[in-house]
Amino acid sequence: MNIEYIGEALVFGKIGNLLIALAFAGALLAAISYYFGYKDPLESNSWKKIARYAYLVHSVSVISIFVVLYYLIFNHRFEYYYVWQHSSTTLPWQYIFASFWEGQEGSFLLWTFWHVILSFFIIKKGGTWEAPVMVTICLVQAFLMSMVLGVTIFDYKIGTNPFVLLREHPDMANLPFIHMADYLQKIDDGRGLNPLLQNYWMVIHPPVLFLGFASTLIPFAFAMAGLMTGKIREWTAVAIPWSFFGIMALGTGILMGAAWAYEALSFGGFWAWDPVENASLVPWITFVGAGHVMMINRKNGSSLISSFLLTTATFILILYSTFLTRSGILGETSVHAFTDLGMTGQLIIYMAFFVVQAGYLMFINRKAFPKSDKEDGLMSREFWMFIGMLVLVVSAMQITLSTSMPVFNKIFGTSVAPPEDVIGYYNSWQIPFAIIICILIGFGQFLKYKDTKQNEFWKKLSVSIIISIIISGFVAYYFQFDRVQYVLLLFAAIFAIVANADYGIRVLKGKMDHAGGSVAHIGIGLIFLGALISNAKSQVISKNLLNIDLGKEFPNNENIMLTKGDTLQMANYFITYKGKEKVGVNVYYEIEYLDADFKNGTLKHAFTLKPTVQLNPRMGNVSEPATKHFLSKDIYTHVTYADLEDFDKPAANDEFLEPKTHTVSAGDTISTSNSLVYFEGLTQSVDRNALGLSPEDIVVGASLRVVDINKKMHEAIPLFIIKEKVVFSKEVLIEELGLKISFLKINPDNGKIDLAISEKKDNKREFIIMKAIIFPQINILWSGCLLLIIGSSMAIRKRFRDLARQRKLN
Amino acid sequence: MKKIHIIGIILIAVALGVIVSTISSSSTYAPFSTAMEHEGKTYHVVGKLNLEKDFIYNPEQNANIFGFFLVDNEGREMKVLYNDSKPQDFEKSEQIVVIGKVVGNEFHVGQGGLLMKCPSKYNGNEAQQNMISSGT
Repeated sequence: MNIEYIGEALVFGKIGNLLIALAFAGALLAAISYYFGYKDPLESNSWKKIARYAYLVHSVSVISIFVVLYYLIFNHRFEYYYVWQHSSTTLPWQYIFASFWEGQEGSFLLWTFWHVILSFFIIKKGGTWEAPVMVTICLVQAFLMSMVLGVTIFDYKIGTNPFVLLREHPDMANLPFIHMADYLQKIDDGRGLNPLLQNYWMVIHPPVLFLGFASTLIPFAFAMAGLMTGKIREWTAVAIPWSFFGIMALGTGILMGAAWAYEALSFGGFWAWDPVENASLVPWITFVGAGHVMMINRKNGSSLISSFLLTTATFILILYSTFLTRSGILGETSVHAFTDLGMTGQLIIYMAFFVVQAGYLMFINRKAFPKSDKEDGLMSREFWMFIGMLVLVVSAMQITLSTSMPVFNKIFGTSVAPPEDVIGYYNSWQIPFAIIICILIGFGQFLKYKDTKQNEFWKKLSVSIIISIIISGFVAYYFQFDRVQYVLLLFAAIFAIVANADYGIRVLKGKMDHAGGSVAHIGIGLIFLGALISNAKSQVISKNLLNIDLGKEFPNNENIMLTKGDTLQMANYFITYKGKEKVGVNVYYEIEYLDADFKNGTLKHAFTLKPTVQLNPRMGNVSEPATKHFLSKDIYTHVTYADLEDFDKPAANDEFLEPKTHTVSAGDTISTSNSLVYFEGLTQSVDRNALGLSPEDIVVGASLRVVDINKKMHEAIPLFIIKEKVVFSKEVLIEELGLKISFLKINPDNGKIDLAISEKKDNKREFIIMKAIIFPQINILWSGCLLLIIGSSMAIRKRFRDLARQRKLN
Repeated sequence: MKKIHIIGIILIAVALGVIVSTISSSSTYAPFSTAMEHEGKTYHVVGKLNLEKDFIYNPEQNANIFGFFLVDNEGREMKVLYNDSKPQDFEKSEQIVVIGKVVGNEFHVGQGGLLMKCPSKYNGNEAQQNMISSGT
């Protein structure tokens, strides 16, 4: 049966699919032609010409896929599953823009796009490197395009296609309405971007991270080209600037992710050693190692094998991280792993292909590697750079092994789970590595390549050592660092900063052209310093000391209940929960911070924070912390729990609940939802005249002390009256606590009395559970990130310039 | 013997240490029955929430204790006490992983030792959602 569907624009999907096919075929053809372009010197130029045209078709197709898919997204063509799944008409334009890369298909396309942009420079400036380098790049492009092909061959589905129609998608095809001719009219809106990702970081973090991913390919492609053409010593010269460009791009991408996590996510920190975070950190670490050994190689020709191994490892680890995060294998260990889209097999083939390529090329070239019997001296820069690289490798290995547990479980059928305290476990390994790295960063530059005079070295360095000891002693004292590991890291980080600053000033004499390395290294030192102080000395100020102590078993008391209108002291602040306000789908919780003026005993407004909960019945409610930034600290405030169920019921409720009757004797305590009522005893001291009672009438008061959760005391005396033989009681209303207490009767036999306590409905409802943390000196961390980026850019600029100069000389 | 060899040996030793510590400090996925046999030892238990029994959460008394009943993959039910506030949307979770140990007839879970999976949130990148709900 053929149905004429109404309102579909199928032509775009057809164009899109054609473009994908063209991009795939173009990449393959370009790879083959480039291969013959360097293998067949006689026909080289004509092969290269074909290759360039094929690659042009590929590049134009990739960019056109973007144009078509964006056209569909911005025009809300929900007949396309990808558009429906990731965007909606109500999204602001920047999130519609970002919805492109919410799904895997889009992120693979983004990755391909960056390769296209980067390879443009290779074609333009590569010279004789172009053909052999482009072989690897084109092969990678072909693999990436196969991820979005979406064709089925022999029952095996290759890739998932972003132009699949909604009505043809397996998840939708069984729904009856999808087979009506006018089904499109029945679709109100797309599912839209996940509310959690609706954050400006979603607009910039993925593109930068994927640029980082993409940039690992270039040094790898140069390494492979070096092996393919026998120029195994020359490739590092060209690959160095690209490596440092990649280190900067990938590093920036990772740090943006950390900043996003810190700002918008609620785990209370910028780094949680989550597998997804680790997956991109590890290749960055090996990338840094690769960049540095290549520098050694340029200076003295050694470390060639390490350069090959680390460059290859970096590229493969990027693929491995894609495999980890996208195959669904992390399942139970990661809080943000992806589901399996059925591409696991394809990813493994992709990864295996390049492992084999690199392994094979290195094997057949094994005799060409220079043998060096000469040993680097202890007083040479390259020796210690090499050590640093080894430390980085061990550090990367530790993270990879621990993160890969689920993979080992799958392979060996074991059921090993991550350690109980994941963060503590990783820190205990990585802090010592960080200490060594910081110290190496500190003295490395004072060593010359080949050999350095001992006394000169110590003379120059001693200034930094002394200054660092003094500063770190002061900082350690000020922040009361007591753990040896922390004190050592503190010293090492400060030493790295001071020594590099000193080197920049005294040795380089502020010549900015050469100072890129020093600036970047100061950045690294600052990152470690900021991370150490803000993490180790973070202070949870919402500790609830009034809690019932649950003993050692349950040490966490970081959450505190705050009822509306209450003011609690937290560290130097007094905090009031003023109420909530619903704007659209967001619920804002207004939390006022007050400064105490102890002289006058008054409280003064300091600032107000509005942590949010976004109500989202479909994907789950999302709570977002709010943070007040000061120069020297951040105050992070997060609503960990709030009753969202009856939010739509009227907020103000003056009704009282049914009273509860309690029979008590003097000295007894009754607990209500917000206070403790202590019955002291009966009292006769009542102003009879005010009540208009005659001496014959009987009146007894119950003397009560009501203590609320802020330990504030209220006195209350409900009365029991017999006037002219009529029994009645005079209730007491404690407005502040929403309590009504009446004295119902006296039992003359045992002296016990009956009290009826009635609470305002509001008492039960209006509260939040919140957590507040002070992160001291976190700005040191962010300024370090900035310096790392600036310093790397300076170094990249210098190296590209050197390269251009060399090219001119040749 | 060259310096580089000595350093190589040290590094291999460290690497071995890393591997050993990775294995020794890891926990194990297990059902409640195993955890009960080894009272006090930490395990990862995967299970589903028993929604017929009430949650235990009295923030007035202590906002940092949240109790619920979990049925593990073998069908055994146990009372779990979690040392943190009640995670938002807890009742919607399809599957729960708790990291903790058996104490008496309860399963005690420390801060951050609770991972929730909500199927609707596990579509593509949407899985990031989980970070929020687990409060880790």
